[in-house]
Amino acid sequence: MPLKDIPKMTEDQEPSRNQKLKWILSGIFIFALIMGPGPGLYLVNDFAAAGGTLIGVPALYAWAVFWFAVEAGVVITAYLTIWRDKAE
Amino acid sequence: MIFMNLFAALDMGITPHVIIVLYMIMLLAFGIIGYLKSKTSEEDYYLAGRDQGVLVTSLTIMATMFSSAAMLGIPGLIYKDGVAFLFFTLNLPLSGAAIYILGSRIWRIGRTRGYITPADLVTDCYGGSGLLRSLIALVGFLYVIPYIVMQIKAGGYLAQRMFPDVESILFMGQEIGIFEMGTIALSILTMLYVLIGGMRSVAWTDVVQGILLLSGMLVAGTATVMAMGGPVSFFGQLSELQPEALSVPGPSGIWSPWKLMTLCMFASLSTMIQPGQWMRYYAASSPKTLKRSAIVFSTLLPCCFLFGVMLVGLGARALYPPILENGVLMPHPAVGSQAGGFDQVVVAMLQEHVPLLLGPTLGVVIVSLILVAIMAASMSTADSNLHALSAVLTRDVYDRFIRPGAGEKERAWFGRGVIVVATLLALWLVNLGEQDPNFKPIALIAQLMFVAMAFSCQLLPLALDALFLRKGTQTGAICGITSGILIVFLFTPFPQLILSDGLTASVKGLTGTLSGLFDIGFCGFIVNAAVFAIVSQFTKRPSKERTEAFARDLKISIPRASPEVFTRGK
Repeated sequence: MPLKDIPKMTEDQEPSRNQKLKWILSGIFIFALIMGPGPGLYLVNDFAAAGGTLIGVPALYAWAVFWFAVEAGVVITAYLTIWRDKAE
Repeated sequence: MIFMNLFAALDMGITPHVIIVLYMIMLLAFGIIGYLKSKTSEEDYYLAGRDQGVLVTSLTIMATMFSSAAMLGIPGLIYKDGVAFLFFTLNLPLSGAAIYILGSRIWRIGRTRGYITPADLVTDCYGGSGLLRSLIALVGFLYVIPYIVMQIKAGGYLAQRMFPDVESILFMGQEIGIFEMGTIALSILTMLYVLIGGMRSVAWTDVVQGILLLSGMLVAGTATVMAMGGPVSFFGQLSELQPEALSVPGPSGIWSPWKLMTLCMFASLSTMIQPGQWMRYYAASSPKTLKRSAIVFSTLLPCCFLFGVMLVGLGARALYPPILENGVLMPHPAVGSQAGGFDQVVVAMLQEHVPLLLGPTLGVVIVSLILVAIMAASMSTADSNLHALSAVLTRDVYDRFIRPGAGEKERAWFGRGVIVVATLLALWLVNLGEQDPNFKPIALIAQLMFVAMAFSCQLLPLALDALFLRKGTQTGAICGITSGILIVFLFTPFPQLILSDGLTASVKGLTGTLSGLFDIGFCGFIVNAAVFAIVSQFTKRPSKERTEAFARDLKISIPRASPEVFTRGK
């Protein structure tokens, strides 16, 4: 669908969409904190201790880089979509 | 002493001297330019006219957060504890997000009501209690002093590394070695440009120091990887480390996932609400500035860690594994000769490998620049903290309790006096720690950082309530923050000075178990938040009109007519 055909949201719809997006992004961020530095680490810990690698990189290092990318992705999405200030 | 001899043998010539002298001249020049540009008002000295743009705001926030811990302490912990501590980096995107989520609200109400310190905002929300204000000032003090101590300590380490041949001198019957000379030089220079130029000089020097710091972190990592034969060889050598160094909880057994997660969540937020950062939110020119700073912070900085300086710690772990001496984990002799020597891993690695990799001339220049970057990391944090402490003690203590009628000029002189006294106090603590073997409460730079962050974390329940919920009361806030501070004190070595042996053993047992499971700041936060919530249920709330006006000003900024309007809470 061409961009110009996408229906524009009304003023009432925008805050509710942003609200929903806010909750989704918060959920993903918390999930990344649980999976990255949190208990999710146990999923790869034994593999990492055995010297396991992911694309040639020690498993825990790769795990940390992946969850950093998820967290940074959430912040970038929030920056582009929901961080709007009345003063702007 | 083996490593000292090794570096003495590696002749760095006068290059480090020249680069350091140029760097110092530049800092003093910024101090003088900041002074010439400044206006006489207190607001200008502390907040640089509330008009800092994106470049200055983002770099000053980064430089304030990244201290000697970034270039010395954290790589030192990676070297000691392997890959496990790498996950600490995942606190940075949250810290970045906090710059906008917390910072924009702090900015709006700060601009409308003319706040300068964190206590201005919090006490205005709950009703302007002097006790609450002094407790918030105490939290600031407890955060700032350990932070300044560790920056000055880093100055001593650097001097030891850069000028190993310099002989001790006798001054007033005291032997002053190169370590002491380094600590004195770093603290006096930092003190001078903060005294002269205030926030403007601090922020400008932070820009240069921030650029040096970020590039230093990346260059250090790249140099290590190249020195170890390129990425494939580097990661190949890492995957052959012993299993404990490749997994959690790490060789020292302290980095459990729960601890890492609570550290990432609470340490990041506590660092972003410490007085120096809080005042930077007030000083930004707009929320847009904070928003852009947040995105730079969340993305760029973790890359400098993950693909930069942390690789130095991991590389050192592969090349010079720590050794066990009489049951105590010690750095390899090529890195350091004392337990605290872990902190020197970056300097040791660079001095040994970069000149071999890049040739003696370019190598020495790059090493000198990175050493200056480490110095910049220390100074950029020390200056911001000295400046913030000056604001906190002047506005929240002197102006409220000691001389309420003092004029602006008198307050400015008192603030400068605070900077001098705090510098001398930190310098004394550093040298006491080095000279007296019985005074080693916290040996490593990173340990100091965790204690400082834990104290700062005790402001978090109040900050979150004031900025988002406004359900608490003044009494609840006082009880909460007091209990949080007391809990964190239990985790420091100080209880053994005042408690009986039996009680000390019980406290040690309990805090040892808890600190093995969670971040110290988190433990204090839980008690603090619970006490705050419970006491607030049974005590008198601020009036509805006050709460509504506060909530309105958090959302909409109304510029003040004059910088001297702020009188609330006085």
